[in-house]
Amino acid sequence: MEDVFNYAPAIALFPLVAFVVALTFGKYMPKKGALAGIIATGGSLALSVLMLVAVASGEVYHETLYQWAIGDAASEIGADGIEFTFGILIDPLAALMLVIVSLIAFLVHIFSLGYMNAEGETGLPRYYASLGLFTFSMLAFVYADNLLMAFMFFELVGLCSYLLIGFWFRTRSAPSAAKKAFLVTRFGDYFFLLGVVAIAATFGTVAFAGDNSFVAAAESAIDNGDTLFGFGAETWVTITALLVLGGVIGKSAQFPLHTWLPDAMEGPTTVSALIHAATMVAAGVYLVARMFGYYALSPTALAIIAFVGGFTALFAATMGVVKDDIKQVLAYSTISQYGYMMLGLGVGGYVAGVFHLMNHAFFKALLFLGAGAVIVLMHHEQDMWKMGGLKDKAPITYYTFLAGALALAGIIPFSGFWSKDEILYDALIVGLEEPVILAAYAMALVAVFFTGFYTFRMVFLTFHGEPRSEAAEDPHDIGWSIKAPLVVLGVLALVAGIANLAPVAKLAHIDITFLEHWLDGEYGAVEGLTYSAYGELLAFETAYIGGEQLTVLIAAGVSLLLAFSGAGLAWKLYSVPEPVAHKERLGGARQTLESNYYQDEYQVWLAEGFTQPLARAADRFDQTVIDGVVNSVSTASLFSSSRLKRIQTGLVTNYAALLVAGFIGLLLVLGYVGGWFL
Amino acid sequence: MALLELPAWTTLAPALLLALTALVLFIIDSISPDAQNSGLLAGTTAAGSLASLGVAVWYLLAGVGTPTVDGGRGIIDVLGDQFVVDQLALFFMIIVAVVTALVAVASYDYMEDHTYQAEYYSLVLLAATGMSFMAAANSLVTIFIALELASLPSYALVSILKDNRGSVEGGLKYFLIGALSSAIFVYGISLVYGATGHLQLENIAAVIEAGEADPYGGLLGLGILMLIGGFAFKTASVPFHFWAPEAYEGAPAPISAFLSSASKAAGFVIAFRVFTEAFPVAETASAIGVDWTLAFIILAIVTMTLGNFAAATQNNVKRMLAYSSIGHAGYALIGLAGISAGGGELVMGAAMMHLFVYGFMNTGAFLFVALAEYWGVGRTFEDYNGLGRRAPVACFALAIFMFSLAGIPPLGGFWSKYFLFTGALEAGLIVVAAALVINSALSLYYYSRLVKAVWIEEPVTERDGLSQPVGLYAAIVVAAVMTLALLPLFGPVADTAVDAATAMLA
Repeated sequence: MEDVFNYAPAIALFPLVAFVVALTFGKYMPKKGALAGIIATGGSLALSVLMLVAVASGEVYHETLYQWAIGDAASEIGADGIEFTFGILIDPLAALMLVIVSLIAFLVHIFSLGYMNAEGETGLPRYYASLGLFTFSMLAFVYADNLLMAFMFFELVGLCSYLLIGFWFRTRSAPSAAKKAFLVTRFGDYFFLLGVVAIAATFGTVAFAGDNSFVAAAESAIDNGDTLFGFGAETWVTITALLVLGGVIGKSAQFPLHTWLPDAMEGPTTVSALIHAATMVAAGVYLVARMFGYYALSPTALAIIAFVGGFTALFAATMGVVKDDIKQVLAYSTISQYGYMMLGLGVGGYVAGVFHLMNHAFFKALLFLGAGAVIVLMHHEQDMWKMGGLKDKAPITYYTFLAGALALAGIIPFSGFWSKDEILYDALIVGLEEPVILAAYAMALVAVFFTGFYTFRMVFLTFHGEPRSEAAEDPHDIGWSIKAPLVVLGVLALVAGIANLAPVAKLAHIDITFLEHWLDGEYGAVEGLTYSAYGELLAFETAYIGGEQLTVLIAAGVSLLLAFSGAGLAWKLYSVPEPVAHKERLGGARQTLESNYYQDEYQVWLAEGFTQPLARAADRFDQTVIDGVVNSVSTASLFSSSRLKRIQTGLVTNYAALLVAGFIGLLLVLGYVGGWFL
Repeated sequence: MALLELPAWTTLAPALLLALTALVLFIIDSISPDAQNSGLLAGTTAAGSLASLGVAVWYLLAGVGTPTVDGGRGIIDVLGDQFVVDQLALFFMIIVAVVTALVAVASYDYMEDHTYQAEYYSLVLLAATGMSFMAAANSLVTIFIALELASLPSYALVSILKDNRGSVEGGLKYFLIGALSSAIFVYGISLVYGATGHLQLENIAAVIEAGEADPYGGLLGLGILMLIGGFAFKTASVPFHFWAPEAYEGAPAPISAFLSSASKAAGFVIAFRVFTEAFPVAETASAIGVDWTLAFIILAIVTMTLGNFAAATQNNVKRMLAYSSIGHAGYALIGLAGISAGGGELVMGAAMMHLFVYGFMNTGAFLFVALAEYWGVGRTFEDYNGLGRRAPVACFALAIFMFSLAGIPPLGGFWSKYFLFTGALEAGLIVVAAALVINSALSLYYYSRLVKAVWIEEPVTERDGLSQPVGLYAAIVVAAVMTLALLPLFGPVADTAVDAATAMLA
């Protein structure tokens, strides 16, 4: 089984080849590069599944492939020398993520046949090339074995996101949205880069795993009570961990850097499904999971992650309630759901966070692809108020979309329920000891209600009632390439929860928490990168309300109740033949919600009111002081030059006199110093 | 090799071959005084200087002049120590021979219609003979004779364009300043002789080391200062530089190249030899009460500053190059300023490297001016506008020369300047190092101005296609290729230079 790992580089390289092929020959190919992408992602999927099987059989892979720089550098803990490498780390977490990413990329490529090719889009080779480059970068990011390599591919996926959001670059909004996404995530990545440099300078290594990893180095530094850059070891670990978290917050669209994601919906819906829901946005959360051992060393950093996550979950969910565009609703729900994952990881629920990451990837990709199908049905109309009644005209779309919606809302037994419940349970038991976490838990719990509400508001407005436009009465046909991915994902949205039925396991005392065992390395794992290893590092206390089982029941019961009441309210308001908007009932809150809490406004103010004047002042300083000094130096030089050359009078008698004078001057200086005249 | 069986005087072959070629030219001219066979004359000159070059390189590689402790054949004394052939001598003989060959090839076209070609070439060779002997001269008498042998033909060469006012005027000024400088120099020799009783360099050093010259400290100091005056004249350093702008501007451009490269290098080799052999830093300082490097520090700073600043606003290209040549003399003077008791190999080696690189890039630059004069395009920067489109090869070579002169990496001029810079810092001459940097930055201004004129500016007047004289082109291209080829070759050159400097300072 070990030999299969020799093919690991190909997982990422296949899509890279597809990128090159689509870019160079896409124009001449029958499906404009789609086939190359489908074959490549299909190959990646097959290899990823092989990796999963290999890991299941107890093997792991950790190999440095290429060393591109080595240097002698004195790091803060005394390691002399640092190596920068490209390497592959395939452990249970990476293998699972590889399968998720390659599966969704594969399905999205197929879906694109119906969504892009069949709709006669232009620029398809560019589209497929970007998708290929994205898939390559994302897969390489997933199995990167060190932080710097992860950072490089993290940037590369950001670039692909930029390219794809701006795919329809002839419109006004798409390029602007692309720039916004690029700049906002770059702002976070700036801190990430600082974190990478800080970690490299502190520990002399950027490896994720092994004895020479920065995680192990940080752990021993804390144990030895070292002082790093003038801080206590734990404080310094917290600082660097938070710097890296900057990149996570930007990429995973957490408050306050979430503003780019709703705008990113300007890209094709397939791109939204693949990049801005299932995979790239997950890169931030995945990075936290990847270096979870490092975060586990710092309870402060974890608490911040948990609180930001809980807050974002609620914050985004409330905004989703008032959106009319189907993709906007999904965008805010994406932000909200990543908040849950951050909360899960922040309270030490490593398994819960990863579990939700997986489930969300499936059901959110499903919802976006479903929305894409709806958009095709509706002749490219995205306003839900112009839809309605699609239930009977497009049953496959409806039922798969419904499966995704039930998972998103967290209705038992769909996959989203199990993972969200586990997160909330983990948050609750920690929250009973830690007030900050309890607050985060409370916000996440309230968000469950809003999630149920906006999800079913979307379902009812889109599919139920009477058709409210001509397009809705006479929907466009959709082909197998759209339906097949929906069905695959619909089934997964229903059954993926089986992977980790933790509440059932706890109540019925049966051993069915497969994902937990998987991540705990019962099959195969890299030492130190297991759930139990992280558990030993965690400093959180836990408590129960009257015993473990009762707590499980309370947590699940409360969240289900809230989900049902949200969904029920939506059913009461919108599941009528002629639904009307109820926004005016929100009163003063309506304007705030529709303006997204003025987040864009204050960020624009920061740019225009603060950064721009500062930049202007710096520019003025450069133009006047710096340039002035430079210019006056050159003016002075040229002036003295024009004076100096007048010494050459052209009269040889003058020369002789000056020569002798110069010689005498030299004689006087030397004679004075040497004391010849005394 | 049967080299050891050869008599010792044969080690002077590089210089003797030049003299012999000059005599051959006399014979050719006596046989047919009226025939103007430029090909034969230029070819003979080039062949003679290439033979001199080949022999010098061969000696260097064979280990002639390399101290026996380093595995060589030992330093060879000729004519009772009046001449000495060591690495330093061979290194500079190579520079002189290379420049002479380039100038001879270029002159084939430049002097095409000239009446006195045989005289011209033989004067070039006699001057080169003098320079080559300067490299090996080991006594103040032979140094003076060699220096005059180099100078007297030079005066005639500068004014060889007898119908050209600038040429004649430049030659006369050169001669007058030269006479004054020679007087100062020879007076300095007599003072040193008076203080020490010797003319042979090692003997002077022995007297100073024994402390016998201490009673005549002031006398010796004045003598040394006057010797410096003589060197400053030959190397066109301030305040003995006044002849240079006018002589270079008036002279035929190949002669300007010859004087500013080979003659300058020869001036430096005698300065290096005299000051390292005859006046050991510490002992001389105790005798005359002042470190003679102080004089070179002052001269280096003033020379480079005056040369570069005066070059910055020149309108005439040839005059700009003349001042730049003064500036480069200032850079090379750092090699003497940085010498100290028990140190200075690197900085002196760096100065030698710089003169070596300079031999190609500066000769090439003046030869481009020769080409422009051949075309008759004019003398100012504006006249050069847009030449790049008409003669891309030559103008590309010009860009290489200019950027190398300015010291742009990775060209050869950068490396030699870099070593001078680090050497100056190592010797603790922070002011000198700072002056080097400032002047280099300023020099980029006027060098790039010429490149800009040639490549970017629009021509002022329409001109027809330009001819491509074979000799000038060949010389320019060879100089450019060598300037570039010095990148990979820089290691051996640097090693030889530093070895030679180490041997001198040991």
